[in-house]
Amino acid sequence: MRARAHLRVERDGAGRHVVRELRSAAPLTLLPARTNGTALVHLVSSAATPLGGDDLALTVEVGPHAELTLVGVAATVALPGPHGAPSRSSVRLTLAPGASVAYLPEPTVVTGRACHESVLVAELAGNATLRAREVLVLGRVGERPGTLTTAVTASRDARPLVRQHLRVGDRELDASVASLAGKRVLATELYLDGSTPAAASGEWWSCTPLAAGGTLTTALADDAVTAVRRLGLAAAARG
Amino acid sequence: MSVLALMLADSRFPGGGHAHSGGLEEAAARGLVRTEADLPAFLSGRLRTAGVLAAVFAAAAAHSAAGRVDNWSTLDEELDARTPSSAQRSASRAQGRATARAAAAMAVPSVDNVCGSTLRVLLAATPRPHHAIVLGAVIASPPDAALVAAYLSVSGPASASVRLLGLDPLRVNGSLAALEPLLRSVAADAAASAALDPAALPAPGAPALDLLAEEHDRHHREEVRLFAS
Repeated sequence: MRARAHLRVERDGAGRHVVRELRSAAPLTLLPARTNGTALVHLVSSAATPLGGDDLALTVEVGPHAELTLVGVAATVALPGPHGAPSRSSVRLTLAPGASVAYLPEPTVVTGRACHESVLVAELAGNATLRAREVLVLGRVGERPGTLTTAVTASRDARPLVRQHLRVGDRELDASVASLAGKRVLATELYLDGSTPAAASGEWWSCTPLAAGGTLTTALADDAVTAVRRLGLAAAARG
Repeated sequence: MSVLALMLADSRFPGGGHAHSGGLEEAAARGLVRTEADLPAFLSGRLRTAGVLAAVFAAAAAHSAAGRVDNWSTLDEELDARTPSSAQRSASRAQGRATARAAAAMAVPSVDNVCGSTLRVLLAATPRPHHAIVLGAVIASPPDAALVAAYLSVSGPASASVRLLGLDPLRVNGSLAALEPLLRSVAADAAASAALDPAALPAPGAPALDLLAEEHDRHHREEVRLFAS
């Protein structure tokens, strides 16, 4: 399945955050919701996806001073396809100066034999701000994960803020203290808002200032509930 | 490999490497590494993540040094973007600064004529350069710089394990030697990417190592720790 979905949000003359363009492409279904403040769009998967062979892409443009909250409604479960081909999903966010986006998808579960690639590219201009969460779950309960590669790239005015690639599903590396330390869930949240809080950390969580401004919170745990709770501790330390 | 590269890879090189355990001290404090049997997985995991990143940037910096390309600020911010942990950035810059000082004081013709001017340009652009970038700038050969950076990413933690846990130095050294094929392939891949646009260089993450580095830094400030990272 190949899908290209698009979303464009602008701030109108009356100061409202308006969805100007919304193009769903099955299985990427975008559902706008009514709110008084920020534009709120739910990202719904209208089919069992991603399956091996799927190629899904979502592009999001947010105009000057517009605000968008893009939330997932259910976990993404990466499954193998019939022919062993990899699946790919990409999200590209383009933020104009003053734009503000919260991108909060539900967890991605890498099932056994899945081979999935996830790409997030965020291009910020001027003082745009982005909050982006990612929760990766290695396999369903009692299941060894297939393979997943993630690539997160964020820049502001074409200068790099974050570039991080991760490979999951290599048993030796997953178990290594260097990569995932044998934990089943990795949760991260990126705040690209020019903040530079003091570093803080606790048992399997940290909140660290990025070199070019902004914060990364990270948590590792054996289950998603604990990972998200630890991520909450890290976010609270951010102040 | 040049004598200069050998000196930089030597644990007795006065570049401040002895002060860093590469996350081993925090891993040992948590009981994640206890015996000689735990060490190979720690070292290979470190080599395949932080080691790859260091090798990639050492090779890219060596490529710039060899071609007299002044892209030091770009390499610096690209490596920063790949090092989300502030504790890891500090450790890298502390070692980079100390290594640059030691290299600048090496009064041999190859340093004065070749890397001396490179170092001056590098330090003018980035007064506290990252360790991997200094290695590349000084060694100026992508394959050698990559191999030295990859080796240093595991040799320091290996010797730290002897000091922290009292592990058998011969078995620890054996574990280090067993990484030889992996060291070669990491260095070869890094050298192959040396000429890429810095924005396109690999960006391997190490989430647990970063967490340990942040926790180590906090403990280091609150209580006595042997190593700075």
